[in-house]
Amino acid sequence: MRKGPTIAVVLIALGASTGPGASADLQDFAAVERGRYLANAADCGSCHTIPGSEHPFSGGRPIETPFGVLAAPNITPDRETGIGSWTNNEFDAAVRRGISRNGARLYPAMPFPYYTRMSREDVADIRAYLNTIAPVHNAVQVNRLPFPFNLRAAMIVWDRLYFTPGEFHDDVSKSKEWNRGAYLAQGPAHCGACHTPKTVLGGDKPSEALRGYMLQGWTAPDITSGQGPLRNWSVDDIAEYLKAGHNKNAAAAGLMGEVVDLSTSKMTDQDTRAIATYLKGVTGMAPGSSATADKADKDVTAAGGAIFQDLCSACHQQDGKGVANMFPNLSEAATTSTQDPATVLRVILQGAQSVATDREPTGPAMPAFGWQLDDAQLAAVASYVRGRFGKNAPAVSADQVRKARAALTARTD
Amino acid sequence: MPWTPFPTSAPDFERPGPWQFFTTDEATAVEAIVDRIIPPDPDTPGGKDAGCAVFIDRQLKGPYGSAAGLYRLGPYTKGTKEQGPQSANTPAELYRKGLAGLDRYCKANNGGKGFTQLSAEQQDGVLKKIEAGEVKFDEVDAQGFFDALLKDVPEGFFSDPIHGGNKNMVGWSMIGFPGIRYDYRDWIHRHNERYPHPPVSIAGRADWTPHKS
Repeated sequence: MRKGPTIAVVLIALGASTGPGASADLQDFAAVERGRYLANAADCGSCHTIPGSEHPFSGGRPIETPFGVLAAPNITPDRETGIGSWTNNEFDAAVRRGISRNGARLYPAMPFPYYTRMSREDVADIRAYLNTIAPVHNAVQVNRLPFPFNLRAAMIVWDRLYFTPGEFHDDVSKSKEWNRGAYLAQGPAHCGACHTPKTVLGGDKPSEALRGYMLQGWTAPDITSGQGPLRNWSVDDIAEYLKAGHNKNAAAAGLMGEVVDLSTSKMTDQDTRAIATYLKGVTGMAPGSSATADKADKDVTAAGGAIFQDLCSACHQQDGKGVANMFPNLSEAATTSTQDPATVLRVILQGAQSVATDREPTGPAMPAFGWQLDDAQLAAVASYVRGRFGKNAPAVSADQVRKARAALTARTD
Repeated sequence: MPWTPFPTSAPDFERPGPWQFFTTDEATAVEAIVDRIIPPDPDTPGGKDAGCAVFIDRQLKGPYGSAAGLYRLGPYTKGTKEQGPQSANTPAELYRKGLAGLDRYCKANNGGKGFTQLSAEQQDGVLKKIEAGEVKFDEVDAQGFFDALLKDVPEGFFSDPIHGGNKNMVGWSMIGFPGIRYDYRDWIHRHNERYPHPPVSIAGRADWTPHKS
């Protein structure tokens, strides 16, 4: 091995000419098909494909983390710049143990702490599927993190703190459906990667699994069965949301829209229902344990009510219930009541398009109101909606709106 | 078309402020004219207080004034009524020359008094003569100038306040037009009942802003 920077892909490329080829059998169609399904369930394409690119899995998409930007590597079978020369063991070590071919540690933007719950066969099948993808010659500089996060050696400590390797084993006291859902949610679908609160070092807080987190300018809401936004959602409601992107309560947009588009809508009905069954069984915050919310004063509420009447009620209705599978029910949509108002402000400021799926192909969009409402007005309507429909979520100040507006204007997505 | 954040092409909001096209004298004359075409009454302000002159001023400064997008290369022969104006003048030139012609006509026929110095009855008399084609201006078709006023003044009275006219939505309040509201499903079966909600402009309405902020 030559001396080189801590960039895995470069080292991979250097070793390419001598590495043994892939061993998976391209003619094992059952394995390839199973791998294709799992690659969708694991949403590999979301990070490893630049949106809109004609070259799936060829990498290069910047992944925004709290520590800086990483780029997802090329995982097509290209022998120089992709993973074409990796053995199945090397691939397995990367996916399930976060260890790259050269021994370097992967950053957990690659959700190996979740993928470790998959079996060796699952990962071999994903590899068999990736071997059928057209190889693309595309060298990606992965590590774009600032010092000291660019030092991969630090990941050894991180792994010790936050990484529990080991595949998923059924809990015999639970149903087959629950176990399937638990496997998907904790493994390939890596729900907690976005929805579980993180430590300052970006590791999951296992005692608070799926209770909500903030990332990439969106709130990933609490999706437990506790007092979070989904407390009134049935198993069928959750399953329908995952499959169709819409249900009677909500519509998926933003990052979750992407997850539905690329991953959950491509799962079988049995699998989305299994995930829903599992999520309903995850314990959340107990009743009454949420902090007392800041209330908007009466003038702000009056102004917010006037704006709601004039701009919002045509779609979301006077009572906020919206139209099933078209316009979210503001009382039950997951993002109305989150502690942090990021998604509410983002959607009002810049609008949003919900995901279009085979099951619900329309993908209705909400118009942007950032051009029409000033900071005080936008704060008023956001506070009104959160106070009236959002289970008394905290009010929003004009200053918060000003900051959100500036941050969104600077974003490229 | 793929969706992008901030997808709206937001309209320009005209702000109160100095005249952008008219000179002070022209503006005074236009304010007098718009108040005769839409005179004030006890319930509703007239064209002047509704901002019709401001609306026309902003329009003439903009693409309407320069006839942007219209064919303007001639020939300039008198067409039929249905063919509309057949003039080399842009609307901006029509107003500039028309107002100068009006001023000369009034002064020549009223002992040196301009349009603004005439009584309301005298002003109506002048406008009626122009409308009837009984008055000729030197540089421009006087009747065509009146036709433009008759189109532009009501536009200023009823267009969205963001364009400078219809101040405080007085035109919409007068006729009960609700503005940018766009869902009336709750009202479809409620006949002979007055719609209770006040009009809303693209720029909103006063109630949108919290009083104490």
